[in-house]
Amino acid sequence: MVALVLGCTMSLITSAGLTLRLAGPAAVYWSFVPLAEIAALAAVCWPERRRRPFRQVVDLFFAGHGPWLFWLIGLSAIWCFAPPSRAFAFTRVWLYGAGAIVIVWSAYIDFCFFRFVMARSPARATRDLLLQRLVSWALIIAIFGGPAIPPEVVARLGARLGP
Amino acid sequence: MTALRWIASGLLLASLAAGTIGDSPRAHPPMILGGYRVMAADFHVHSFPLSWATLSPWDTAIEAQRQGLDAIAIVGHNHVWVSKVGRWFSRRWGGPLVLTGEEIVSAHYHLLAIGIDSTIDWRQTAVSAIREIHRQGGVAIAAHPLAGSWPAYDAQARQALDGAEVLHPIAYESADLATQLRQFYGSAPLTAIGDSDYHGLGPIGICRTYVFTKEETQPGILDAIRHGRTVVYDRAGRAYGDPDLIRVAAADGRLPRLDSTPAPSMFSRIAAILGLTAAAIAGLSLPGERDGQECHKVK
Repeated sequence: MVALVLGCTMSLITSAGLTLRLAGPAAVYWSFVPLAEIAALAAVCWPERRRRPFRQVVDLFFAGHGPWLFWLIGLSAIWCFAPPSRAFAFTRVWLYGAGAIVIVWSAYIDFCFFRFVMARSPARATRDLLLQRLVSWALIIAIFGGPAIPPEVVARLGARLGP
Repeated sequence: MTALRWIASGLLLASLAAGTIGDSPRAHPPMILGGYRVMAADFHVHSFPLSWATLSPWDTAIEAQRQGLDAIAIVGHNHVWVSKVGRWFSRRWGGPLVLTGEEIVSAHYHLLAIGIDSTIDWRQTAVSAIREIHRQGGVAIAAHPLAGSWPAYDAQARQALDGAEVLHPIAYESADLATQLRQFYGSAPLTAIGDSDYHGLGPIGICRTYVFTKEETQPGILDAIRHGRTVVYDRAGRAYGDPDLIRVAAADGRLPRLDSTPAPSMFSRIAAILGLTAAAIAGLSLPGERDGQECHKVK
């Protein structure tokens, strides 16, 4: 489901419509996002695979992705209905404003996942949530952003250029 | 939940069919003006992966053709290999001319290196980066040169630059930012460039450069940029670039031309958003619910 929505989103934000040409391939190469999340989930939950099958854990974890999916659909709607000259400004608000809400909301959902589905203590659930985020987001950002990240970090920290 | 899934599938399939059928690019006859071949180009296009962009190099090349562009430069953030993949694909597939390049993303400036072959290190001053671009036979274009980046371009760097983005989508967000782009462009004898800084949002070439070339090749385009043979139009219809070419184009009346494939119908767009929403709701059901079994709500 995540890969499908991602593929459709890439098509909609580019061409304001769904085309097989864009949505199909994008769903394939953007599946690195759910794969990175599964890898991170495995890093956290793999030891308990005998108590609960990992496939079921993955299914339950992704059932909590509603906020992210609706955030992507909102982004798609901006580029479907707003003229491009205005869509850039709307996108900035949506990316940072709604994005901040989604980050907090999804963190709460995933905390509940670790707390109640995986039966962790509050401290352990928090640790697992942070570890899952650290691993998956590091992978996703590295693949998506790549070599521009160090200078962007340097720029934000206000550091001086290297030699 | 089953009914919702049927509705979602129906809406998505209808939208997909409408979008795919209407997806063929428009005819795009070559344009000759003042003895030059006029090429619509976008020199600031990013591709997945490693550049905060959503479309692969091959999808990017196809999409550029759909938007009526004759040439694009795929510029990776601090790397060139994705642009080489795009060039290889577009040559095989018969797509637009893809120029190799890099956006040198440093902490203090962003610089487009068009027509280079090897990655240029970002950890150097703008003027030394420009020298390296020229050593590789490329052209250097200041990318979205807003006031914050001006100190990085000292007098020496501005003299060495080949061009500057006088039009960029940030100009649509604020009149002040648009003014900053124009002020930088006016601060030195620079070739006018309009670029979309495409990362996946909106159409490629929403801001574009009309390049007056002697030949439809990478060297031909680089030569035109070095000699200032470009014209850029903003959405108010103001033209930037070579005054003689602006006059020629105004007398001819065919520029600016977009040749983009029209956006899908409103029905198709509404169906896509509703279909995705229904699919997301249906897909978010818990595993037990999906199988029709009893399931405890855990979230």
